[in-house]
Amino acid sequence: MTVVIGFEGSANKIGIGIIRDGVVLSNPRRTYITPPGQGFLPSETARHHRAVILTVLQEALEQAALTPADIDCVAYTKGPGMGAPLVTVALVARTVAQLWGRPLVGVNHCIGHVEMGRLITRAHNPTVLYVSGGNTQVIAYSERRYRIFGETIDIAVGNCLDRFARVIKISNDPSPGYNIEQMAKRGRQYVELPYTVKGMDVSFSGILSYIEEAANKMLASAQCTAEDLCFSLQETLFSMLVEITERAMAHCGSQEVLIVGGVGCNLRLQEMMGVMCEERGAKLFATDERFCIDNGAMIAQAGWEMFRSGQTTALPDSWITQRSEFTSAGLLLSGSTS
Amino acid sequence: MEPEESMAVSDFLIKGNLLKQGAEARVYRDTFLGKSTIIKERFPKKYRHPLLDEKLTHRRTVQEVRSIQRCRKAGIPTPVVHFVDYTSHCIFLEDIVDSVTVRDHIVSTQQRPHPGPTLEHLAPLAAKVGQIIAKMHDEDVVHGDLTTSNMLLRTSGYVVGDAAELSLVLIDFGLSYISALPEDKGVDLYVLEKAFLSTHPNTEALFQKLLKSYAASSKKSSAVIKKLDEVRLRGRKRSMVG
Amino acid sequence: MHTSHQLELYPKQTVTQLLFKGVKNSAELRKSAMEGKINAALINPKMIVDSFQVLVAANKAVHLQSIGKMKTRGLYSEIIFNLSPANNISEAFKRFGISDSDDSVLVVLVATDDESQVLADITEKVDGQQVPVAELPTLTDVMQIRKLYKVTPQEEKIGSLLDSVVCRMATKDVV
Repeated sequence: MTVVIGFEGSANKIGIGIIRDGVVLSNPRRTYITPPGQGFLPSETARHHRAVILTVLQEALEQAALTPADIDCVAYTKGPGMGAPLVTVALVARTVAQLWGRPLVGVNHCIGHVEMGRLITRAHNPTVLYVSGGNTQVIAYSERRYRIFGETIDIAVGNCLDRFARVIKISNDPSPGYNIEQMAKRGRQYVELPYTVKGMDVSFSGILSYIEEAANKMLASAQCTAEDLCFSLQETLFSMLVEITERAMAHCGSQEVLIVGGVGCNLRLQEMMGVMCEERGAKLFATDERFCIDNGAMIAQAGWEMFRSGQTTALPDSWITQRSEFTSAGLLLSGSTS
Repeated sequence: MEPEESMAVSDFLIKGNLLKQGAEARVYRDTFLGKSTIIKERFPKKYRHPLLDEKLTHRRTVQEVRSIQRCRKAGIPTPVVHFVDYTSHCIFLEDIVDSVTVRDHIVSTQQRPHPGPTLEHLAPLAAKVGQIIAKMHDEDVVHGDLTTSNMLLRTSGYVVGDAAELSLVLIDFGLSYISALPEDKGVDLYVLEKAFLSTHPNTEALFQKLLKSYAASSKKSSAVIKKLDEVRLRGRKRSMVG
Repeated sequence: MHTSHQLELYPKQTVTQLLFKGVKNSAELRKSAMEGKINAALINPKMIVDSFQVLVAANKAVHLQSIGKMKTRGLYSEIIFNLSPANNISEAFKRFGISDSDDSVLVVLVATDDESQVLADITEKVDGQQVPVAELPTLTDVMQIRKLYKVTPQEEKIGSLLDSVVCRMATKDVV
C-alpha cells in the first residue's frame, strides 16, 4: 500500500488530498473569491493560501484518519501556474516532507488533471480536453508521452469566461463560470459572436474583445439580455472546443474523450461533447466539480504514479515554474500506463 | 429562414461510395457528369446551435470554393470545382487520381529501408511544400488547416527523391480566408509545424528544410517567420493571470 | 451524331447536344428561340472547349430550377448564363448565345421523356450540316476563351483550359 499526499495551489484554489492506491481518502479545498468585477492577483491569492493551508492540511489528515507516519510521499504542484501561490504551497510541501522524513515529488499540474480524470472515469486511452482558467488543450497520449494536438493560441477558455463575467459584473461566488452556466440556461436568443478555429487550435481573444466592446451597449439598448449573452458565449466557445476535440480524435483515430479542468464541470459542455461522441460512436468521460476543479487529490494521484515508478524530486530540484514544460513534442511521464 | 433542401444530392449520395468520414465532412467518390468525382458533404453537427451550424457550414463551403479558385488562378494546384450545392453544402471536385497524402508518403518512406538517412529522401518534398505554401501566402490565401493530410502528392511518374517531378495538390480549404497580415500567415505555419511534428516524430530537421524553402520562396517571408517565432513563444509564456 | 447524358443528380433529365456546321439561318433560329418557338439552348460553339463544359452548365441550371433559384427566366437561358464567367445576363447571351452571322451552332436540349421527336424537330429547323459533337474542339476559339474567362498563363501550367473554364463557371456565385 502506498499513501501519497498532494498539495495544489497554482491558482485561486488551495487543496490538499490524500490517495491510497487509487482511493481518495480526503480532498479538502478552499477558494479565494474576489468581489464581482475583479480577478485574483498573485500576491493576494498567495496571502489567502498562506492563511488557510495549515487548516486544510489538518482537515486532510483528519478526514483520512491518518497521521503523518502513514504518509509515504509528499507531492506538490510544480507548475504551471501563478508564481506566488505556487511558491507558498511548495514551501509547505517541502517543510512537511522534511519534518516527516518523506520523499518529495514535483507534479505537472496538467498531468495531475489528466491522471485524476483517468482514475475516476477509468477511461483507457482518451483524447483529453483540458479546459480551465489558465489552460485550453487537447491532449492525447502516444509513444509514452502526452502530446498536445490542439490548444488556444491566445487566452484560455476559462479566462475568457472569467473576464466576460467581470465586464457585466457577474458574481465570482462560487465561481464566475458556474454563474454564467446558470444564467445561460435562461438565455433564449442566440447572438452571433466571432468563431475562430485554426487547424486543431482555437483563439478566444477576438471573441473577448468583441464582447467587451459590445456587451454593455447591447444590454443598455435592450437588444438582448445578460442571460442571452451568457448563452451565446457558451454556445460559441464550447462549439469551438468540441470541434477541435473531434478534429484531434479524427486525426488520432481515438474513440474516447475525457474532459478535465474547471470548465469541464460545465454540464452544457459535457452535453455537447456527448452529442458529438454519440455521432462518432465514441465514449465520453467526465467528472464532477470535486475532481474537475483544481484539487489536492489529483496531485496526489499523479505523484502516486511517479513515486511508484521510482521518480522523486530532490530538495535542490524542488523549484516551481510558471510556464508549461508541456509542448507538442510531449512531456514524458514514465510509470503511466496506457 | 429555412434553406430549401436539395433532395437530389442527398439521394445521390446515399448510393455513393463513402471514402471517409472526417470531423466535419463526409467524402465520397462517384461518377458525376461522366467523370470520376470527389464529393465533399458538410453535414450538420447536432452538438452546436442550429443557427451557428448553418452559418459555419455555409461559410466554410463558400470559403473553400473561393480559395480554390484564387489558388488556381495563381498557378497553385488545387482540385477543379465542378459543381457546388449550397443547400446541402456539397462540393463536387476533380478526383486527383494516382495520388497519396503527403502524410502517408512520409510515413511509408520512413518505414521503408533506404541507403542513407531518410531525411535526404524527403528533403525535396519538404522543400516543395515550403515553396507551394509560400506561393499561396503571397496570394494572401491563409489555409487555416495546414497538415500533411491536406496535401496530395501525385504518384504517377514520381520517383522518391526526385525534386523535378514532384507535383503537389493542396486540398481542404474549409478554414481558409484571405488575409495579408503576417500574423495570420505566421499562425498558418505554426498550425502546420505542430501538426507536422506531432504526426511525424523526429522530423524537426525536415521541417526546418520546409521553413527554409518557404523563406527563400516568399517575397514577404521575413515578417511571417518573425511572427511564427512570436506565436511559438506566446504558447510557452502564456500566463494564467487575468 | 448527337451526345446524350443522363444527369446523375436528376436521373429523369437527359442533356442532349447537337452540333451543326455551315448553318445559313442563324438569324431565324435566334428569333425563333427568343419567341419560344424553339425549346432549346442555342450556343455559339466557338466559346465551348468541350461538351463537359455544357454538362456543367446544364446540371447547374437543372439544379437551380429544382430549388427555385434560377437567375434567368427559363432553363435554357439559365444554361447560357451558367456558361459565362460573369454575372451579367445580357453579356452572357451576347458571348455564348448565337448571333445572326454565326455559321455554326450547338443545340442543347434537356428532356424528361422520349426525345426522338424533339431531335427531329430541331434538325428540321436548322439549315446546316449536323456533325459529331466530338468535333467541338475544331471550332473552339481558344484565344477568345482565354480572354473572356481571364485565364492566366500560370493557371494553364497546372491544368487544361477546360479545367480553368469549368472551375470559373462553378465558382462564379461566390468569387
